[in-house]
Amino acid sequence: MLIYALNRVLTLVPTLLAASFLVFIFIHLIPGDPASILLGDTATPEEVAELSRELGLDEPLWTQYVLWLGNVLQGDLGTSVFFREPVLSVIADGAETSILLATMTMFWIVTFGVPIGIVSATRHGSWIDQATSGGAMLFASVPTFWLGLYLILIFSVGLGWFPSSGFPSLADEGGASNLRYLVLPSLTLAAPNAALIIRLIRASMLDVSREDHVRTARAKGLHPARVAIKHIFRNALIAVSAAFGFTFAALVSEAVVTETVFSLPGIGRLVVQSVLRRDYPVIQGVILIIVVFYMAINLLVDLAYASLDPRVSLK
Amino acid sequence: MNVLLSIAPIFRGRGLATVGMCWLLVVGIAAIGAPLLAPFDPLEFDPFIRLSEPGWPHLFGTDHFGRDSLSRAIYGARMAILIGSGSVLIALVAGGLIGMLSAYFVRLGHLLMRIVDVLMAFPALLLALVLMTLLERSVLNTVIVIGIVYATTTARIVFGMTLKLKRDVFVDAAICSGAGNTSILFRHILPNLMSPMLVQASFIFAFAQLQAAALDFLGLGLPPEVPSWGNMLSEERVYVTRAPWLLIFPGALIILSVFSMNLVGDALRDNIDPRFKDDIAGV
Repeated sequence: MLIYALNRVLTLVPTLLAASFLVFIFIHLIPGDPASILLGDTATPEEVAELSRELGLDEPLWTQYVLWLGNVLQGDLGTSVFFREPVLSVIADGAETSILLATMTMFWIVTFGVPIGIVSATRHGSWIDQATSGGAMLFASVPTFWLGLYLILIFSVGLGWFPSSGFPSLADEGGASNLRYLVLPSLTLAAPNAALIIRLIRASMLDVSREDHVRTARAKGLHPARVAIKHIFRNALIAVSAAFGFTFAALVSEAVVTETVFSLPGIGRLVVQSVLRRDYPVIQGVILIIVVFYMAINLLVDLAYASLDPRVSLK
Repeated sequence: MNVLLSIAPIFRGRGLATVGMCWLLVVGIAAIGAPLLAPFDPLEFDPFIRLSEPGWPHLFGTDHFGRDSLSRAIYGARMAILIGSGSVLIALVAGGLIGMLSAYFVRLGHLLMRIVDVLMAFPALLLALVLMTLLERSVLNTVIVIGIVYATTTARIVFGMTLKLKRDVFVDAAICSGAGNTSILFRHILPNLMSPMLVQASFIFAFAQLQAAALDFLGLGLPPEVPSWGNMLSEERVYVTRAPWLLIFPGALIILSVFSMNLVGDALRDNIDPRFKDDIAGV
């Protein structure tokens, strides 16, 4: 297990380096001089010259990369063209919203997705199963922003139950009740992802239910619910846990859209706005952080998977 | 006719998938016959009838420029088919080649699959966003970007399937009878990959619609004047309280098409080589 873990971490290093190189090279792919791109249109020639010296723009590309990587490792992701602030603090400003949104979304996914998936698998072939798995596929086919717009229309404009946009920090006036701003966005974000989880749980539970130990459990007269939860669901969870990395990626992608629909001050909306403002240092910083995060999650998922299912690390 | 007869059994006992297939045919017909079917010019402004409700002669109503929504929706079918098939083509050709070559030539595979791994470290929409910042908004660029995003997953899948096929007896037989690498890859392995790749294609087609709509919505997809379902939603979203029907029709068209494609993909997946079933990632 330890060897497996070390092995996984070591194979991650080159991928991480290559991914960071791609993020670095991104600035150089944009037509124009990197220093003036990083400083924006309003920069004076002196500022551009100074940054050029700092970035070592007359040096070979790999030296520039090493310089950049050194800065990144020290937490210096450059300065936002638009905010005139360090990129890291701009990103940190959006972190609260995005983390709360993700947590709340996961809450919905688990509370709706898991029971529905279990019911769908245990009632395999019945009308309940057909309705839920059909419904799940339908939800996975709905554009996120469209769902969000209609939730706003119904629950904010129509019924007035929830606010339609924005999110004041929990530290601001209102405290924890500000979470109501995140109800509709998190439901929007949860819908397609819960749909994926339902179909995944159903499929892997059906796989497990064909195994011998399940037949034994049934044969010795255990209660069907006990077989479903203890013998089938817990084993199926191993396969489901492997999909969590994938869910994270889907969550990030859809958060970009959802935060835009609900005008939430999160990291997803920051990416979109930075793209529209041509604020390249911020784009670079956010992408780098998300990629590192994504890889870390995939690593954790792999390790969890290996410790849950010892067969994996023996391969 | 032969083709129809051979795919007919796949849809036996799958009412919903059959309905989905029929809907996709309708979309296809709308795309081909758009100039004949559309009652109005999809680009023509008429400020006097802006935001008019569905009725005669504007069955889907009109948008904030007074353009006929139904006509725009019919032309939107063209964009849906174009984007779907374009990205499928890029994803399958590029991803398929990379996957096959990587699995067959081990050394090359080490390099190519690492590159694929690196690209897959970027969540799909994010990769598309970054690529779109480097490119102009255009139909071709949108197709290329979505194609690249799905080429990575396709490469991974084809890689896995080719590894399985490579160990098969028929490959040994081909080697023994003196077949060259090209012949083994394209005449012996590729035909076996065709049906799982077709299933993969149907899922890519479905996902591509959602990605393209998301890009349109963020203002980074097709140029705003192009009548696509995503653009219709994106442009009219500020009028959602005054004219909710403007978002219902294009939204329903996207949902129906993606749902249909997923259903068809699901039906096809149940009919491919069981060894490959777990390789294909659908909904």
